[in-house]
Amino acid sequence: MGIKINGLTLQIGETQVCDSLNVNFECGESWAILGVNGVGKSTLLHTLIDLESKTSDVIRIDDMDLTAYRKNRKLLARKTGILLQDYEYNFTCTVIDAVLVGRHPFAPQWQWNQDHDISIAENALNIVGLSKFRDRTIDTLSGGEKRRMNIATLLAQDPTYFLMDEPTNHLDLHAQITLLDMMKSHIREKNRTTVMVMHDANLAKRYSEKTLLLFGNGHWMAGDSEALINKENLERLYGCAIQTYVNNKTTVYLPG
Amino acid sequence: MTKNSYLFILFLILFSLFSIISSLFIGSSSIPFSDIFDVLTGHGSELHQTLIFELRLPRALIAFATGAMLSIAGVLMQVLLRNPLADPYVLGVSGGASLAALVAMLLGFESAMITSSAFVGALVSIFAVFVLAKGKGHWNINRLLLTGVVLAAGWVALISFVLVISPPDKVSGMLFWLMGDLSYDRPLGPGLIILTIGFVFTLPLTQQMNVMIWGDKQACSLGVNVKQLHLKIFFLASLLTAGAVSLAGGIGFIGLVVPHFVRLIIGNDHRILVPSSALTGAILLIWADMLARTAMAPMQIPVGILTALLGVPLFLYLLRRSQ
Repeated sequence: MGIKINGLTLQIGETQVCDSLNVNFECGESWAILGVNGVGKSTLLHTLIDLESKTSDVIRIDDMDLTAYRKNRKLLARKTGILLQDYEYNFTCTVIDAVLVGRHPFAPQWQWNQDHDISIAENALNIVGLSKFRDRTIDTLSGGEKRRMNIATLLAQDPTYFLMDEPTNHLDLHAQITLLDMMKSHIREKNRTTVMVMHDANLAKRYSEKTLLLFGNGHWMAGDSEALINKENLERLYGCAIQTYVNNKTTVYLPG
Repeated sequence: MTKNSYLFILFLILFSLFSIISSLFIGSSSIPFSDIFDVLTGHGSELHQTLIFELRLPRALIAFATGAMLSIAGVLMQVLLRNPLADPYVLGVSGGASLAALVAMLLGFESAMITSSAFVGALVSIFAVFVLAKGKGHWNINRLLLTGVVLAAGWVALISFVLVISPPDKVSGMLFWLMGDLSYDRPLGPGLIILTIGFVFTLPLTQQMNVMIWGDKQACSLGVNVKQLHLKIFFLASLLTAGAVSLAGGIGFIGLVVPHFVRLIIGNDHRILVPSSALTGAILLIWADMLARTAMAPMQIPVGILTALLGVPLFLYLLRRSQ
């Protein structure tokens, strides 16, 4: 079980994302991916579920080669779900309908939304605190509310592996903590895995027990957040001076 | 929701039947209802028999098929390009068809030849867009849109050139064709076959289309084979457009307005949207064509003018309402 990456070498244009990356995202773990802008964090996340990719033969999900899912794409979508950075909103609809899109991997061709699916979607809206927006149209939502709606869609999809690209983007401080607490309890409760691309090393250390650092020259480090997230690694990662403050035994990292 | 959707489709089916029947006895020479009944049971006068079975019924069915094809193609193009302003003609399919039809008219071919030539022109245009948009790299929707729009502009230039060099007595017929017109004798069979093929192959894609409007990556992550779906939608939309343009010329606004109109009534579930749009487009074109042949009778107006005249205010109204 788990997502197993065995010798993944990934390049976008001139940028070497990772050189023979070996890492396993096991069930129940929560991972943070850290690195500078453009280092390929999102690309790496997308590669994990990209069935067309040439590198898909070094990735195994639940003991099946990624290529084997080409014949059954909905099966993969029941195991892995992704929260993208951006979504397209060209056609408007109600919030509940948007969240129900997450049930697509479970719906047979001609089946209308079942009460079961609707209650799952309503529950997801409840978790992200959007219940009262259930019947609003999506063009009336703010950026942060849309973000929470996207997260609800992913919760409705209810995969084993939650791949999340900057989940706290657009969220206020309180909403960030609420979301990350919710994800943490969700994982504990159901033995799910989260892999989150993040920019805040403090949040990463607080919410993810494991971390993957991408340094931008193909070099990478993976392991326990406690050990990896330190002044030296962060200075090397971001290429700037980092100051540390200790508060209630927690170390806080700040640039400068 | 689902129950209402079924009722809406049932209503549209009944209304389209009503529209076809209405079109049998509305016309420049109106036939009383009692006579229609006689004709339908085979007891009418020979004149009425000819008028109904050889002129009005085929014309109503062509309007039905054309309206339905344009509307489905409109829905497909809007999903494919994820642009609510896309219509069936945006990728230049109609341009290729029009040019070929005009050349056939210039050479003095019969109407059946004009129709088949238009169809071949449409296929050439589809193929050109597809190959040029693909280029050396992979298939990309922005590239497809730009290629289509530029090719469409090229077709317009060639069409204008043909109009300029054509003798004046042929230009009027050509303009009728360009504006979209149902008054000629057209082969009905191929139109109905293309409509059936297009509809039957579009329906199984509608559930995936519901996901695709959220973007390719989201669709991909929810289990949709996006590349394959793009290709299927492109070819189905093109085929339906080719069918419609060959039958009726460049009838505007149906493919743009009808999908929007139906979206506002029943929402974005393409499983309902596709059949509903097909029927609504069919109904709209049947009534527009009835107006086209009666409004200034005995003179006929190209039906494309009427669909645009009805479509412009309707679209502006919808746009204002959605703000």
